[in-house]
Amino acid sequence: MLGDSRPAWHGLWAFAATEARVQLHEYLSIASTVLVQVIFIFFVWLLAPPYLLPFALVGSMVFSAFVIGERVLNEAAYIRIDHKLNELYHASPLSPESYFLGMGIGVLTAYLPTLVFIGLLTEAVHPLSLAAGGLLLLVLIGVWLIASSLGYILSTLFRDMRAIWPYSTLLFNFFGVLPPVFYPLGLFPGWLAPLALVLPPSAGAALLMYVIGLESLSGGQVILAATALIIETLLLSVAAVFWSRRTSREGA
Amino acid sequence: MPNISIEVGVSSNLHPPTTDLAVSAHGMRKVYHTRGHPAVEALRGLDLTVKRGERVALLGRNGAGKTTFLKIASTLLLPTAGTLEIFGLDAVKRPEEVRPLIAVVPQEGHPFYHLTPWEQVYTYLRSRGFPRDVARDRTESALKDMGIFDIRSQLNVTLSGGQQQRTMVATVLATEAPLLFLDEPTLGMDPFARRGVWAALRKLTDRGSTILLTTHYLDEAESLSQRVYIVEHGHVVAEGTADELKRRVGGTVRVTMPEAGAHPADYESFGRIMAGDGVLHVITEPRRVSEILNLALSRGISPTVGPVTLEEAFLQLVGRAIEEDAR
Repeated sequence: MLGDSRPAWHGLWAFAATEARVQLHEYLSIASTVLVQVIFIFFVWLLAPPYLLPFALVGSMVFSAFVIGERVLNEAAYIRIDHKLNELYHASPLSPESYFLGMGIGVLTAYLPTLVFIGLLTEAVHPLSLAAGGLLLLVLIGVWLIASSLGYILSTLFRDMRAIWPYSTLLFNFFGVLPPVFYPLGLFPGWLAPLALVLPPSAGAALLMYVIGLESLSGGQVILAATALIIETLLLSVAAVFWSRRTSREGA
Repeated sequence: MPNISIEVGVSSNLHPPTTDLAVSAHGMRKVYHTRGHPAVEALRGLDLTVKRGERVALLGRNGAGKTTFLKIASTLLLPTAGTLEIFGLDAVKRPEEVRPLIAVVPQEGHPFYHLTPWEQVYTYLRSRGFPRDVARDRTESALKDMGIFDIRSQLNVTLSGGQQQRTMVATVLATEAPLLFLDEPTLGMDPFARRGVWAALRKLTDRGSTILLTTHYLDEAESLSQRVYIVEHGHVVAEGTADELKRRVGGTVRVTMPEAGAHPADYESFGRIMAGDGVLHVITEPRRVSEILNLALSRGISPTVGPVTLEEAFLQLVGRAIEEDAR
């Protein structure tokens, strides 16, 4: 319905900057995202055996990238339902895919302080090689893209903010905390391990823990986790681009 | 044929407008289907045209179909049937070609609460592709036009409802888009602010933009628009200038007197009689006013004289349409 099927990124960075400004004005919200992770890691340091601390640190970064999806879901729904700003932006040269991705990039800025801070803590506790650092970046980008796409798509299905809050919190905490994201895959029931290796946050965490030497995975498990993450990133990103175009006009 | 200059950003690839009609809608139908509820036909074959450079108001009761039409015209809603061209471009099939040419003030929209008015307008212009210096100049100008330049650095969340609405209007007016859709743009504004918006809209159409707006303030429609469409039950029931619509009521002057002691039959020969709320209105032509005044005064009644308002015309025309629909 929107003609050329290739993504048109007109206005992407300008809208991302807009959304980033919105996020950066909410200082307390940014501080709380850092604080929640720091408190969690503090309790792990206090209560858990020392060998689990690096797991918690890596998991904290992956979780922070994943939970961006919850913020994208809430933000996209809020500015559509309460502010009607989607109408302002869709009836303009800004492409629908720029609107979706710009929102994802903008929300990411709110989590950068957390990611950088936890990254520095990880480096201090368990120094990363260049290759591990590179993979860390790739995994975080993949998880962020998956979560943002999921959050944006889901945001369009709701008509009431009150209905969104419990679902979004449940969804992103269920998949971001319950599987082995903050702890070793070996502590997860063996028969559920393949599922953990295809769920984006735990697949990303397993790959990272393997590369930095915290986790021993078989070749098949590495391939499964990497393939799942790559395919999910591509599929959900393309789906979000398609869905953003479709929902830029009601009834389409 | 006059050509208009369209500045929508450096990277937009536009088809130049090829028609004098900014909006041309024919047979627009929209049926809403909601699971578990009967289908609602919001538009029933609505026809409407807006010439380039015009200011046109769309009037109607709540639920008449105004916002539905505005959403369809601004490519935000797909119609069930009908054709719609914006500057000669097919807005139903090729919305992406139309979007660079339009800007919309949504009904009951709010600016980003965690941006300032300056940031709201400036970043919107940047996202539409305007260079920094142009965006800066237009932001300043739009905020001044809307009377909110002094509060440009306060977060929108701290502003009053009227100030937030002015920020929304400033955001859209600053685009100077060839075609602006404004859905109740002055909702919640004080009379001074409303007049500021009117002046800014007039300035924009003087520069070549076209405006289609909805409003429930009939004085606004009368003062601002060059033509008016009245919509009822999803179709147009009247169209014309405010004066033309008022003439359809039966006259341009209203003589009002207390109902007590005034017999409607005495005044029927002068024009249309409307009674209610304890008063009797005689809608007539200016040349008959002195006769009515003399008659009323001779019977000890003190009438007042005033112009027929668009509101009276609206009530009459919509009332008739409701009666016809009921039959």
